[in-house]
Amino acid sequence: MSAEAAATDHGHDHEDHHHDLPFYKKYIWSTDHKVIGIQYAITALLFLAFGFFLMMVMRWSIAYPEEPLPGYLSWIFSDEWKARWLQDGRVTGETYNMFGAMHGTIMVFLGIVPLGFAAFGNYVTPLQIGTVDMAFPKLNMVSYWLYLVGGLTMCASFFMESGAAKSGWTNYAPLANFADGQIVNQFLAGQTQWLLGMVFLISSSLLGAVNFLTTLINLRAKGMTWMRMPFFCWAMLVTGFLLLLAFPPLEVAAIMQLMDRTVGSSFFTPSGLYTSTAGVIEASGGGSPLLYQHLFWFLGHPEVYVLLLPAIACVAEIIPVNTRKPLWGYKPMVWSIVILGFLSFIVWAHHMYLTGMGPVISTWFQTTTVLISVPSVILLTSLIVSLWGGSIRFNLPMLWAAAFLPMFGIGGLTGLPLAFNLVDLHLHDTYYVIGHFHYVVAPGILFGLFGGLYHWFPKVTGRHMNSFLGHLHFWPSLVFMNVLFFPMLIQGMAGFHRRWYNGGDAYLSKAADSANVFGNTVAEWIHLNPVMSFGAFALALAQIPFCINFFVSMFAGKKIKNDNPYDATTLEWATPTPPPHGNFTFDVAAYRGPYEYSRDDHEGDFFPQWEEPKRNKPAQEPKTSPVS
Amino acid sequence: MEIPYTVTARKDTGLFNSKVGIWLFLASEVMLFGGLFSGYVFLRIYADYPWPERALPIVPGLINTFVLIGSSVTVVFAWAALKMREWRKFQIYMGITIACAGMFMVLKGIEYKAKLEHQAVRMDDFAIIEGHAHYAAIGDDGKLIHADTKAKAKKMGGSGEKPFKANAILFKPDTVDFSVARAHEPWVEAVLEQAAKRKAQLLTAENLFLYGSIEDYAGTEDAPLSSKERASKEAALVTKYANAEDKVERKFGESSLFIPARTALSYDLIKKARAAYVGGRSHNAAARTAILKDNWEKVKAERPDDKYWEQAPDTKIDAATQLDEQFDSEGNCTAGSKVMSVISTLSFKMDPPQPIVISRGWVKRPVKAKEGKAELRDDTSFNAGEGEGSAQGLMDSSLILAVDAIDLRWMVQKAEEAGKEPLEVIEKSWIFSEGNKNHKYYKRIWKSHKARIAALEEKLLEDYGRDKEGNPKRVPTETDRYRVAWQDLVHYARADQQEGRPLRPGDPGYDELRPKFWNGFAGPNHKDEEIHDLHAFPELEIPHEKVALQSMFTPKWNTYYAVYFTITGLHGLHVIGGAIVLGYYLFFSKGLYRRNPEWLANRVEVGGLFWHFVDLVWIFLFPILYLM
Amino acid sequence: MADTPEAIQKAKKQYLLIGLILFVFTVVTVAVATVPWLDFGDHGFDSRDAIIGLLIATFKASLVASIFMHLNHERKTIYVVLLIAAVMGIVLFFLTGWAFVDPIEYGNTVEGDRFYNPEKPITSD
Repeated sequence: MSAEAAATDHGHDHEDHHHDLPFYKKYIWSTDHKVIGIQYAITALLFLAFGFFLMMVMRWSIAYPEEPLPGYLSWIFSDEWKARWLQDGRVTGETYNMFGAMHGTIMVFLGIVPLGFAAFGNYVTPLQIGTVDMAFPKLNMVSYWLYLVGGLTMCASFFMESGAAKSGWTNYAPLANFADGQIVNQFLAGQTQWLLGMVFLISSSLLGAVNFLTTLINLRAKGMTWMRMPFFCWAMLVTGFLLLLAFPPLEVAAIMQLMDRTVGSSFFTPSGLYTSTAGVIEASGGGSPLLYQHLFWFLGHPEVYVLLLPAIACVAEIIPVNTRKPLWGYKPMVWSIVILGFLSFIVWAHHMYLTGMGPVISTWFQTTTVLISVPSVILLTSLIVSLWGGSIRFNLPMLWAAAFLPMFGIGGLTGLPLAFNLVDLHLHDTYYVIGHFHYVVAPGILFGLFGGLYHWFPKVTGRHMNSFLGHLHFWPSLVFMNVLFFPMLIQGMAGFHRRWYNGGDAYLSKAADSANVFGNTVAEWIHLNPVMSFGAFALALAQIPFCINFFVSMFAGKKIKNDNPYDATTLEWATPTPPPHGNFTFDVAAYRGPYEYSRDDHEGDFFPQWEEPKRNKPAQEPKTSPVS
Repeated sequence: MEIPYTVTARKDTGLFNSKVGIWLFLASEVMLFGGLFSGYVFLRIYADYPWPERALPIVPGLINTFVLIGSSVTVVFAWAALKMREWRKFQIYMGITIACAGMFMVLKGIEYKAKLEHQAVRMDDFAIIEGHAHYAAIGDDGKLIHADTKAKAKKMGGSGEKPFKANAILFKPDTVDFSVARAHEPWVEAVLEQAAKRKAQLLTAENLFLYGSIEDYAGTEDAPLSSKERASKEAALVTKYANAEDKVERKFGESSLFIPARTALSYDLIKKARAAYVGGRSHNAAARTAILKDNWEKVKAERPDDKYWEQAPDTKIDAATQLDEQFDSEGNCTAGSKVMSVISTLSFKMDPPQPIVISRGWVKRPVKAKEGKAELRDDTSFNAGEGEGSAQGLMDSSLILAVDAIDLRWMVQKAEEAGKEPLEVIEKSWIFSEGNKNHKYYKRIWKSHKARIAALEEKLLEDYGRDKEGNPKRVPTETDRYRVAWQDLVHYARADQQEGRPLRPGDPGYDELRPKFWNGFAGPNHKDEEIHDLHAFPELEIPHEKVALQSMFTPKWNTYYAVYFTITGLHGLHVIGGAIVLGYYLFFSKGLYRRNPEWLANRVEVGGLFWHFVDLVWIFLFPILYLM
Repeated sequence: MADTPEAIQKAKKQYLLIGLILFVFTVVTVAVATVPWLDFGDHGFDSRDAIIGLLIATFKASLVASIFMHLNHERKTIYVVLLIAAVMGIVLFFLTGWAFVDPIEYGNTVEGDRFYNPEKPITSD
């Protein structure tokens, strides 16, 4: 490359410039990875709250199918909306379907992925690898706005004639091809807007993944070799690859279904399809509903790890800091997630055991599914062993991280039976499945992410979160999560179907002792419904301390003692607090691995990555500035 | 702040950022097109209908391949020119590249246009007819008139009549019902326009009172209104407006509306009725919910010690039954009523009945003569009575087209599935029978076709001989045998109309009469004078009830065209996107070239990589879609 | 990578040559599909024609990728990325295909599947 190539057209100092930027440029149309991370976090938290609300309405319908929605759930709806979607104030089957579909979609695609990957990833990754920003800051901004547009597109349909999507979060064809078919302008139908929103979200994720991967590959600081990268960054690398390669097939499925819905093609419409409203469907037919499922689950399973890896990464950051010990088995953990990432691409059809796959292919997917538990167990075991012999500081992040381990363990272990197709025949589409993946996602992944929120809050704001309110958030959450989800496993084995909008009530009245699976009956366990719903409402109350804590601590929390309040070793703690545009105030380099705690050959119990080794010349103090 | 490695390569990876980024993006594109190709393969292999192989005219695709390959060469030359710092040459090469992109899209547009104008019909016996739909208009006598061009149809139609494609539905209704909530404005306007043209009026049959608030309906709590009082109020309104031709707003009360008998239809009227309907419906929903809530509380109080009181079988509470008490014996609401009747449908009488042209895309399900009803997707319903003197309902809605291909492969497939002799089934089918006015012409075509195929079979046997078992090595394909393509039609017409005596297969000069693969360019040319004079594309009038599915050559027609439009459409979007980026480099990058030519060269290299990928995809698309 | 002026001049000739080869093979692929005496396999389109068409396309695509896109001398990172993508693409295609070709068939002639066929109940023999 020619020497003049490094010309300094950007030679003037941008840093001074940035502080002069008008508000909207600094905080709205921002290209700074930290601001974008915060934007993602706040948007995702709002979407999570919305998804949670939808779930509460559903849980009301399950527990009290005959009773009208109480005021505290229905005040948000307008009279016209209630007239259309509620029957005498009660949730109808169609409304339940709509809320169920949107709860799943919002939680997965608009809540947890943006919170885990996009928010934490954006904020922390460039700091941890010691660089100034993401590789493509403008692209980063575009990612966020595409995400927001996609999310709003999906949710806008709640207020339209058609209502929002109502064919499950998986949007299976051919059901989803024809839902809302009565709407004249298909672009104003909720079911179509789901697909449009999905195309936006996928584009956002793809751009985000390209950005993350480029940053991790090309922008690591001096000395930040692959094996010196914190585990968090490794998780982001693998997650990035999962998004990059798993999302395009879903984009294909979304585009094909969009064609089916708007121009009447038959990608997923089989020949001779009959519906009660339209008779024999006037479509060419010849399509394959199974193709949709394959394309969907090719994304769907890696997506699970897209949800999980950021959470496990947060936990892996919190544990070494608070046990003052290196992460046990860093290298095996890294290899585990790499293998996990690969295996996650070849297990997808275990979601499809009931689609008539033959025994040979079913066995293949069963085998790979069981195989994938090996790296998962290595990860969890390493994290648990990391606790061994540590002098654990049970501060707020550590509480969440510690709770993550058993909760995720339950989630993972309850998944094992589902991997076997023989057992899955019985458990498919029951509450057991719901219980399993909610254990993974809610007390598992969300706990990990809450831990991350509490952990990095001081870096973002310069203040600690209030400990009392934090405990008031944590303990009820832990208890009520289990009240909510554990009975699902029992109900599932008793044969409760996941799509009963009235919680099995109608089923019960028809045949009180049918559905005898594993010796349990619906009648026996239907009384758990109100208990679980109580858990859900109590869980909602338990989030109130968090909301208060979040906003109050931002302005009035205890100030941190210095830039590195936890005495941590990774690079994000070497920046001023909050990190300015451009992040580091000194020429940053990594001199050692990420978790050098309690080393015998070093005084003090931590040896930061950025601290220059003592050679012949005297050690240089890490250039951290006091809080301003 | 400056992001490192935007211009120069990082040492250990040897790459600058955008190059890593584009390759990651291309990796995701590989998955995107991989998903699309997989979809294509599985849809094709598992198609339950004869796949239209080699269905597209080759020439436009071939030229497009040349165009894209050429542009790939020029874009890499443009990059080389920048590397050599030759701005002028860069401009020329890049200009050619973008011109190529434009040419590609123009050709694509021509191809798309030909497809979108090409009518196809699947008949109820699985014969497939392709051609150009004639134009039709309503004559002065209210009957269907058709002609092969729009101008002719206009001339022959009644005064002020608009010609339409002869694939619409003609319906003469007695009454038309519009859904107050869902009527689609453009369709209402279209019906109005047609009625006006044919000197018919759409009038309400009876006096309608649309209540929008409970106060108007049942009075206030202090001054309740009984059914009788309401009836006298309504009677007063009727007399008040009895002979009023004035344009007063016939509103009464708060938000209620009086529509006297013989009020003409307008969308405005429907909108006003909608307001009253929404108001009434919202009120009813709220009232019923409140009643239900009261009832629940009552039941709960009755069973103070029962923990599961709401699941006890005798506590089922339905608001509807509770509300019965609010009605008197004649079904009228009594004084103090909490709910009111709402009107959701406005019915209009057509006076006198006149035909309405309904586009096939508007109807909810196929219109059948015996049902006397046409339902549109916005819940509008055209009704024809059963009694004497009532309108006839469905009129002659034959689909009339100039046929340019007859495809009997599907019919043969069905015949073979049923164990019947294909040729017998074909020759007994409607198209060759007395029911078809033109059947003699089609019989002649079929005879010519059979003769040519027999000759082909003989020639293949002569050229390639038999295998060991005595079977001919090569035989005509199913497509040869059972598809009469437009080339065949022209071929047979030319042979039959030779000066002197008609040519037969085997005669010298017979084979030369066949159109070559480059004739017709983007498909059969109905405007070609020779074809017109030969009358090679005969007319066919398919009765309404014989049409099983009709469509243009759009994604709706079959999964092949769905795949074709989806993949080439997405590819076309990539071409446009690439051209925009390259255009930006060409027109808006002189400044960057002066400041930092290496950076621009890098950008062009990255843009070029994307462009090559677009070319690479087309290299696969061309054989897959055009040659297979 | 071609960075020196001489190398770029040389590369330009190569690009032209490759462009020419691509043109020629486009003509070839059309010829094998349309000219009767170049028709491989049976008369008309069949799987052998598909394979030949795809082989030619793959050859052309690999020329574009290796020469125009410089994949013949690229960095390791990029090869790794593309390898992963290629593997996943193949996984998507073949595992989906496998699931399609191995369905539970109702009432087919395989011995074990008689169980599922209501018209041919298992007899006691």
